[in-house]
Amino acid sequence: MSIKLTRRQFAASAAGAALVAGSAPFNIVKAQTGKLKIGSIHPRSGFQAQLGIACQRGIDLAPKVLQQLGIKADVEIMNADTESNVDVARARAEKLINDGANVLIGAFDSGQSSAIAQVAEQKGVPYIINVAAAPQITEQGYKFVFRNFPTAPMLVGDGLNLMKSVFEKSGITPKTAVFMHVNDTFGQSMAGAIKAMAPRFNLPFQIVETIAYDPQAKDLSVEIAKAKATGAELLMPVTRLNDAILMVREMVKQRWEPKIVMSPGAPGFYEGQFYKTLGKFSNYLLTNVPWYNPRSAMTQKLLDQFTKTYKGELFELNVGFSFEAVMVAVLAHNAAKSTAGAALADAIRKTNLTDHVMAGGPLQFNEKGQNVNIKSVTLQNLDQRPKVVLPLDIAEDNLTLPMPSWQKRT
Amino acid sequence: MIARLLDGVPKRALILLGLLLAFLLVAPLFVGNYILSVLILVLYFAYTGQAWNVMMGFAGQLSLGHSLYVGLGAYTAAALYVHFGIGPWAGVWIAILISMAAGLVVGFLAFRFGIGGVYFALLTIAFAEFTRVGFDHFMWVNGSGGFFLPVAQYSVNDVLNLRGSPTMFYYILLGITVLAFIFCRWLLTGRIGYYWLAIREEPEAAQTLGINIFRCKMIAVAISSGMTALSGVFFAFYYNNLFPEQIFSMNRSIELILGPIIGGVGSLFGPILGAFVLTALAEVLNDIMVALGYELPGVKLLFYGFCLLIVVMWLPNGIWPPLRKWLRLGERL
Repeated sequence: MSIKLTRRQFAASAAGAALVAGSAPFNIVKAQTGKLKIGSIHPRSGFQAQLGIACQRGIDLAPKVLQQLGIKADVEIMNADTESNVDVARARAEKLINDGANVLIGAFDSGQSSAIAQVAEQKGVPYIINVAAAPQITEQGYKFVFRNFPTAPMLVGDGLNLMKSVFEKSGITPKTAVFMHVNDTFGQSMAGAIKAMAPRFNLPFQIVETIAYDPQAKDLSVEIAKAKATGAELLMPVTRLNDAILMVREMVKQRWEPKIVMSPGAPGFYEGQFYKTLGKFSNYLLTNVPWYNPRSAMTQKLLDQFTKTYKGELFELNVGFSFEAVMVAVLAHNAAKSTAGAALADAIRKTNLTDHVMAGGPLQFNEKGQNVNIKSVTLQNLDQRPKVVLPLDIAEDNLTLPMPSWQKRT
Repeated sequence: MIARLLDGVPKRALILLGLLLAFLLVAPLFVGNYILSVLILVLYFAYTGQAWNVMMGFAGQLSLGHSLYVGLGAYTAAALYVHFGIGPWAGVWIAILISMAAGLVVGFLAFRFGIGGVYFALLTIAFAEFTRVGFDHFMWVNGSGGFFLPVAQYSVNDVLNLRGSPTMFYYILLGITVLAFIFCRWLLTGRIGYYWLAIREEPEAAQTLGINIFRCKMIAVAISSGMTALSGVFFAFYYNNLFPEQIFSMNRSIELILGPIIGGVGSLFGPILGAFVLTALAEVLNDIMVALGYELPGVKLLFYGFCLLIVVMWLPNGIWPPLRKWLRLGERL
């Protein structure tokens, strides 16, 4: 049977559809009390999908874990995908607010977070940034935007400070270093920040070579040979996952064994796939990065739930920061007893949590909405998983340096 | 001039265009902010698709690096505004000139040395890519760390400085999309339009007829890149942040040309229809899936792929030409 559509019918249908679409906004009723609707907005497709999904896991686990911790969490999570795209991020933020979201949480990427922040501020809906490091976002004078993640200068500053602590604790002070970095937005910004900030930190070593490589590189043999030729005692890599694997494989192949391999603050070394691929060769590498506090009871509760829910996946910083963002929103809701934007924003501004998941001081926001108390830790890969080795008060294991030879590992 | 623009366009087509314009003019009065933001995206892709269409659809030169002109336009106007306080309506002319200059360099290299087809497309990608790498290191606009425009909270719309509500941006974009449509119609009905069509269909024959192919192609590149720069200026002031990785990316170039390809390359209304189909329908599809309880991140990309498949297999000229024929709207739009 064939259905024939005349032009008149087509025009009438189109007009009807337009009328229905146009009248949809009138159905929206914004509640001021009752259940808190949290709009979780992350890149869950596109090139940042893997990281957005990690953030989403922290969000999804939060209500259950908070209930287990005795925190009333009367929430509904509404999800949106930014498709790793600024344009879409803005439109999806509008949609979440249109659908009744009382708080927004996201968005992993600075550009997307900035676009969402503008919408949240215009609509008076609090927005808690879980992961995004561009300092400018909290420099715009926003009243409804909060960030529970370190800015790029905080990340680099902490990373360089921890280097000195590692040297002190291990008794090994390298005199020369090679800085290798992936040549993408993140790698470039880290390189720029290190170059600008390193002189202020009186680091004991001299960077004898800086080597940038393409993010799509399939082979790093030339780069590693060049680095090895310098005879540097410290390798400072800024990597993503794939190039981190390539880099270590090539170091093993070329038998390059600097005394210390320490990332000043980059992903790669602490990711699940890194351990699965490299096995014993993943051990003893160091990363300075914001991380969860393994001594916190709350972290343990979250970790248990995460392990049960996502078997074989690694619990890492994106999960922790996302969980904390939900916790901040829930506690603000409980305190304000309202879902009105202004009341929630006031309550978020007054947040003061000494017991939380991520390492650092109390979870508080300054007048700009930035949590300035987050501290990086030094992670060392031991037994093929990341373990906190510094600061000592939250350490899970002892710092092991110098690295044993590649050939002598079992 | 009006007679030239209307020549050969059936009354029925004018009425439908008038109705569409009337709908778009009153839309902000009865749609919510979300639908308005989707309509802004639709108009953005319609306008930019139209700009790309001048080069590919009219003159037959395939550019896969149009993000170059979006990025140059965006960064130029934003940097002039932030560093020198030059407003966007003044900065836009400099942005257009810089983008046109970049387009002319690409065009000169290609057309003077006989680079065409796929090789020309590769050249456009290469220019966009190395400009991205250059901007990653260009610290005057904060390199890869991102360039942020100050976001003042507004109580009234400041049209002069492009600071205001989404509704203001919507009407500005609607205005430039309508003007671009009229401008492209004017180009197509003029001498240059006929030259372009001749070059697109049979360059050798066009040359034997005395058409200066090099000059005509250069004009197409200049107009297309200049028009694209304007969409970059809009992007900068609407989103207020620019990252080389995002604005100059190959993904963006592809995204910009999907509308005209699906709608109908070379037609005037094709890029507009393509933008509506891709952006609006993809959003509707996403909403339907969510309403049905299926959360499928990336479903939009599947929809794009599906549309491309349909077009490649059954509608090689895009959706608009057969729809235009069915609606008896003539061949001029």
